[in-house]
Amino acid sequence: MLIIGENIHVIARVVNDAIKAQDAKIIQDLARQQAEAGADYIDLNLGFCRKDPMVMGWAVNVVQDVVDIPLSIDTMNPIAMEEGLKACKKRPLLNSASGKSDSKQEMLPLAKKYDCDVVISVINDRGMPAEGDSKLDSIMDTVAYANDLGIPNERIWADPIVLPASTAGEGQKNALATYEFVEMLPEALPGINSVVGLSNISNGVPNDLRHLLNRVYLAILVRKGLSASIHDALDEEMTKICKGQALNIADLIYRTFDGEDIDLSSLSPEEINYVKTAKVLSGEVLYSDAWLES
Amino acid sequence: MEYKAPVEAYTGAVREEIIGTGDKPLKLGGENILSLHLFDEGSLPNPPTFALEILDMEPKDWPEHLIEPFKDVISDPVKWAKKCEGFGVDAVNIFLLSTDPADKDSPADEAAALVKKVADAISIPVLVYGCGDDKKDAEVLPKVAEVCDGMNLLIGPVLKENYEVVGKAILDHGHKAWAESPLDINLLKELNVKLCHFLPPERIVIDPESAALGYGFEYSFSLMERVKQLAVITKDSMTQMPIIASLGKEIWKTKQAKESKKQGLLFEAMTALGLLMAGANILVLRHPESIDLVKETIGGELWQK
Repeated sequence: MLIIGENIHVIARVVNDAIKAQDAKIIQDLARQQAEAGADYIDLNLGFCRKDPMVMGWAVNVVQDVVDIPLSIDTMNPIAMEEGLKACKKRPLLNSASGKSDSKQEMLPLAKKYDCDVVISVINDRGMPAEGDSKLDSIMDTVAYANDLGIPNERIWADPIVLPASTAGEGQKNALATYEFVEMLPEALPGINSVVGLSNISNGVPNDLRHLLNRVYLAILVRKGLSASIHDALDEEMTKICKGQALNIADLIYRTFDGEDIDLSSLSPEEINYVKTAKVLSGEVLYSDAWLES
Repeated sequence: MEYKAPVEAYTGAVREEIIGTGDKPLKLGGENILSLHLFDEGSLPNPPTFALEILDMEPKDWPEHLIEPFKDVISDPVKWAKKCEGFGVDAVNIFLLSTDPADKDSPADEAAALVKKVADAISIPVLVYGCGDDKKDAEVLPKVAEVCDGMNLLIGPVLKENYEVVGKAILDHGHKAWAESPLDINLLKELNVKLCHFLPPERIVIDPESAALGYGFEYSFSLMERVKQLAVITKDSMTQMPIIASLGKEIWKTKQAKESKKQGLLFEAMTALGLLMAGANILVLRHPESIDLVKETIGGELWQK
């Protein structure tokens, strides 16, 4: 399973400032740290780049100077996207396109032109499909369109869209739909990879608890056959889960997910937290910020 | 082929809670079916109940047609409460609006003494609602709990901001907590989890907020429905509390309700009916005729189960 490191992200204050000042060192340090931690791709999320779309080309070049893993070019702005793709030495990942009309017209042709890999989300002109099968229906339509443009399935990474678990029950329902999507994808669209913006599952959750939701969600998705995940590449536990090295924790999470009634008295406090979190992400227990307290 | 209606059986139940100590205590919850699913397997030991709202001061923005039933008693909360009892409601809900720092900022002692007087004067249970200012309520509500020690009142709003101090007083003086959260299932559960660290769950009543028809009603409806599904179907222990729908205060803020009596009554009755279908166990209204309208619409025989 591939790790796409999300740590160069414009929402982080330090990254935002570094981009504005074109301070290469901060960006390069973050890139190097992620590569050393085992990231397979480095995501460059520079936001919309409204003022200066050329900045994406600059960022690609400074990162390529220090690491030799491929990049994921992450912007909604097609001009900045093209600047980024153009500058890449290794085949990049276009992050992302969708089934929306403007994305089909502006982003997908870029994927064809630069022969790159492309993330296509299930979002379409009607919004975000909520169920596993409606997500699949949507992605099948967009993939057919991409195929017609000459983009083969092997270049496409399908994103079911992750919502925060804390959003009034909808996020938990959506999490279940993403499992279904990831599981059914290989049969529905052979050759296509699956990818998620994983950290969104814990958006809005108290900061010191986010890692628990991220790790458990990742473990469940790995088991469902996920091909790639965009997340904090510096979280070592996440990397272990991706590489199949966190066997005890994964086993505990899977057993909980399968409905086994686990005796908490034999577990460490950390293990108990994993079990409680797995109950939330399996939909068994309704989320609240106090999910570890009951 | 003969059609056979499907019958569901659920495994969870709403906790049964009793408010008040007199001959006519308020019994809430206890059902192990979804609201009005009387065709399913299970029972509804305590049909939904109704309370009327009174204020601790003369209302400022109530239209004439809302004041009319209480015209002669509106400046005396004790008489007002007695008049409500005369209308045949199950409980009286006193709102301590005068304690609001933005209004008269009247002191906690005064408010607590008044609640005691009202509770002593009537034979039906009293529900107490502060002014909504979480800091002032944290002074007033514990005082009310103390002065009315052992009277088993429902006291609130107990909020995320003040649940520790208000909840503690409710625990120490033998009352029930009116736990309010802003229209969100996750926040509602979180507050219950936190309260249950020291207060038994059977001493909590949930207020998910009741929006008026046309003013976000559908959010309240879906939320109450969800709480009941989680309680009865999923058996989530932290949502198995009875629900209070305090809708009178939302209805009579609207232009439509103020405009004419007919509109006001229909607005209040229709909203109440909707929230009742969603799963409310006790509904707080302002106009006695609205309650009559709801009762007439649902009909008493509906509750025979």
